[in-house]
Amino acid sequence: MMKTKRIILIYVCLLIVPAVVIGGWALKLLSHEKDRLKAQAVTALTRQAQNLAETLELTVADVEEALSRSLLDVDSTQLEDTLKRWQDENPLVRNVFVWRDNRLVYPVEGLGSTPEERRFASRYEALFSGRMDFGFGQDVSRDEWAVSEAAAKTSDNSPARQAVSARKDLVNLARIEDKGKAEAVPELPGAGTKPVFVPKSGWIPWFAENRLFILGYARKLPKGPVYGLELELMTLLSRMITQVPAVREPGAAFGLVAGDGELVHQAGGFPIDVKKQPDISVPLSGLLPHYRVNVYFSDRGVAGDEGYITLSVLLVLLFSLSMVLGGILLIRDIRRNMKDAMEKTSFVSSVSHELKTPLTSIRMYAELLAEGRVKEKEKVGRYLSVIVTESQRLTRLVNNVLDFGRLEQGKKTYHPMMFDLVAFIRTLFEAHNIRLAQAGLVLDLRIPEGPFTVRTDRDALEQVVLNLLDNAVKYASEGKYLGFFLEASIEGGVDLIMADRGPGIPVAHRELIFEKFHRVDNSLTADKAGSGLGLSIARRILRDLGGDLVYEPGKDGGSRFTARIGT
Amino acid sequence: MKGLQSMSLKPRLCRVAAVIIQIMMFCAVSAWAGAPKVTMKVETDRAVLPADGDRTVVLKVSLDAPPPPRHVERPPVNLCLVLDRSGSMAGDKIEKAKEAAIEAVKHLGGRDMFSLVMYDHNVETLIPATPVRNLDGIVSRIRSIEPGGSTALFGGVSQGAAEIRKNPGSRFVHRIILLSDGLANVGPQTPEDLGRLGAALIKERISVTTVGVGTDYNEDLMARLSQNSDGNIYFVENSGALPGIFNAELGNVLNVVAKDVKVIIEVPEAVVPLSIIGREGRIKGRTVEFSMNQLYGDQEKFALVEVKVPRSVNGKSHGKDLEIAHATVYYENPLSKTREQAEARGRVSFSPDEKAVKKSTNVAVVRDYHLNLNALAQEKAIRESDKGKKKEAVDTLKSSAAQLKSVGSAISDEKLLKEAELLEQKADLIEKEGMSKKSRKMLRTESYQMKNQQYEK
Repeated sequence: MMKTKRIILIYVCLLIVPAVVIGGWALKLLSHEKDRLKAQAVTALTRQAQNLAETLELTVADVEEALSRSLLDVDSTQLEDTLKRWQDENPLVRNVFVWRDNRLVYPVEGLGSTPEERRFASRYEALFSGRMDFGFGQDVSRDEWAVSEAAAKTSDNSPARQAVSARKDLVNLARIEDKGKAEAVPELPGAGTKPVFVPKSGWIPWFAENRLFILGYARKLPKGPVYGLELELMTLLSRMITQVPAVREPGAAFGLVAGDGELVHQAGGFPIDVKKQPDISVPLSGLLPHYRVNVYFSDRGVAGDEGYITLSVLLVLLFSLSMVLGGILLIRDIRRNMKDAMEKTSFVSSVSHELKTPLTSIRMYAELLAEGRVKEKEKVGRYLSVIVTESQRLTRLVNNVLDFGRLEQGKKTYHPMMFDLVAFIRTLFEAHNIRLAQAGLVLDLRIPEGPFTVRTDRDALEQVVLNLLDNAVKYASEGKYLGFFLEASIEGGVDLIMADRGPGIPVAHRELIFEKFHRVDNSLTADKAGSGLGLSIARRILRDLGGDLVYEPGKDGGSRFTARIGT
Repeated sequence: MKGLQSMSLKPRLCRVAAVIIQIMMFCAVSAWAGAPKVTMKVETDRAVLPADGDRTVVLKVSLDAPPPPRHVERPPVNLCLVLDRSGSMAGDKIEKAKEAAIEAVKHLGGRDMFSLVMYDHNVETLIPATPVRNLDGIVSRIRSIEPGGSTALFGGVSQGAAEIRKNPGSRFVHRIILLSDGLANVGPQTPEDLGRLGAALIKERISVTTVGVGTDYNEDLMARLSQNSDGNIYFVENSGALPGIFNAELGNVLNVVAKDVKVIIEVPEAVVPLSIIGREGRIKGRTVEFSMNQLYGDQEKFALVEVKVPRSVNGKSHGKDLEIAHATVYYENPLSKTREQAEARGRVSFSPDEKAVKKSTNVAVVRDYHLNLNALAQEKAIRESDKGKKKEAVDTLKSSAAQLKSVGSAISDEKLLKEAELLEQKADLIEKEGMSKKSRKMLRTESYQMKNQQYEK
């Protein structure tokens, strides 16, 4: 038994350990996969953010360049009219100005201009009054920004700077190259012998009234007017945000965030909290200083892999579970097979033993009689009766084994007939009276006087009662009592009750005793031979006949078997 | 002779044919010509000026839009509805808004374009610009709208404009109707910024009409957006009134009889334009300019200009009459798709007789002038109240009411007196309970509606 348990334990280990290891490994791989997917999503989102930032930058740069070119292309003779038309008609142009001889020529002062134009003039007062330079010929740096008027007035290190794009610088440079090396820009000191003025233009991001304004300017002639326009930032933003594509990633939201941290636009499945640190942040360069394209991840994770991961985990669990379940089923099967094999072995040895005992008696008495040494008639009679009894026992045993085979295969046939149960019982017990007496059992037979007819298979019923009787003789003889009662069953049939005062059946075995080959394996039964078939056969027969066999512990200890005969 | 006669017959026939064709052409043209034109009028607060004394004259330059002709097809409308579907719209508001939107669409015809943009924290184009042919499809999509998160108003209007731009050109009357009940919290959200957006959109001939629902929206922002883009403005306290508002607005939009309207007023030498009341315009020397995106049929819009007539100009120096203003309006007739113009002149005379001066008072001009001044006073009161100066705000309203009252009784005008009374009540209420969200919205809306003459004749 210990060995079996060990084998089973080994089997269990062999099955469950690999299942757990494989499952664990798969989960680990999955978590790696999750990380990989996340990294992939982050990379893709970063690229998207960069693309978006680039698109926006390009848009701004294009606008900037186109406006600059337009400014430079304005016919000097119709400067004011053209600019005014722009202001009236072009949504990108908020205000225009003409600055000649260090003085603002347009918009005019006073009522000649709209309130907006008056605000415009005062906004750039530092520039238009000549206190600040437009920056022609200065070194242009993209990283330095014009600051608010107030700051400009008080601080020396905050000059207005041009913010001409690098691209445009290159274009300008290329143009000069085209015109020949002898030509050069007069503003650059020591630049050549034939100074030719190259029309210049530029852009100033201007912070005033706590917000950003963008001023573009141009000058075509060295002494000519400086003129330009103020970009309508809202138009630029309004047009730009419609370029932001819809975000397909469910766990991410894109936000265009202005320099002051204000969310200009957002796209994505959930509202962005600007106070939250962005997970990806790409700055915009150019005329929109400190603008950024930010990407925020939702709390549930960025990669849209949740479903995939969940499914994978489920599959792994299912796989592991099926492995374990399959293993358990297999082990159960093996256990059953092993049990069967063991039972059969024990059955064969029990049956052999059972067969051997009567055979030995029969052989011994038969030899004694054959030698003719026993002369006493009485002795001879006794020997012969032993031979008969033992032969009967042998027959019963063989019958049981045969019946078991038939029952197992479902081939047992019954021949129900009407007969008197009372007479049947009396005959049976009379025939076995001597056996009972020899075993020391006192029979307490309580059956009615008169005849009681039942319809069932007489031989089968005899086998049932004999099996019970055999068990009583075998195991309960020490109780010196065997009761046999006939009672009407509550369910309508007849109960044949056999009670003894033997050791009884331990609780754990009370149902198992009806299973084939089962033997209560303890010190009490260890020395008794038995096939372990008797009760199993008895119950089957009764059930086949519409009755049942049940066990209950006796009131005074011992066992109490009730054989119910169906009607 | 015979030959001559037979020869003269042909030219005669030709002439008859030509006459018939001319008549036919005249009939055709007169169908357009029959399409009534915008008329213009220049009035002064007094027809007779004192020979000396107060010489400030209020000019009222009014544009009278005729009712649209029935037999001429109206210009197609390019309408974009921008709906706030933020969480606060949930419940009755969004349902009523949807109902209103469906009502609006049902008024449109097959040549009109319709688009619907909705926004919460995201901006989504529910219906891209599409001709209003598949009405059922549009209606079922409108019904599918569900309320969402925050309020990306700027993005919503921007996307709306993008939808409008898909069908550019002067063929259409472009209009965005923005409906919102909350404070914008995604995107630019100051009245200044949205005002600039409006100013930019008007250059593309796109007007934005704003409909504020409830008492939680930012009326300054909505007003600036409408004002700068020459749209209308509505304040709806209760969402039940929405379908009515949409009907009224659409009635306007479908009734545009003049587009791209530019008015130029010239005054004679020595006369000085001082200011334009209620409208943004430009005074350049002796010229006053202002423009409007459109005129609706059966509506009167006007501008009030204060001018100063110096003492040097009088009956002696300039004869009995003085042409004090010459106004010209240039506009596009959307029905005939032609540019048209109309002009008017205003004259004043001079008299030393004070009675004559007083008798010459034009009640309507004085009334409009003071109502517009009152609109400005209301805005001033809002500004003061915003700064926490409740007392000053109440005083401003009360003094404006007193002014209306005194003028009203001087010229015995019922309307002014009634307005004065209403204003006094408002001032009292504000004095008692402070400037509530509702009163602020009403003041803002009324003052804009007054300045913009957003009402029918």
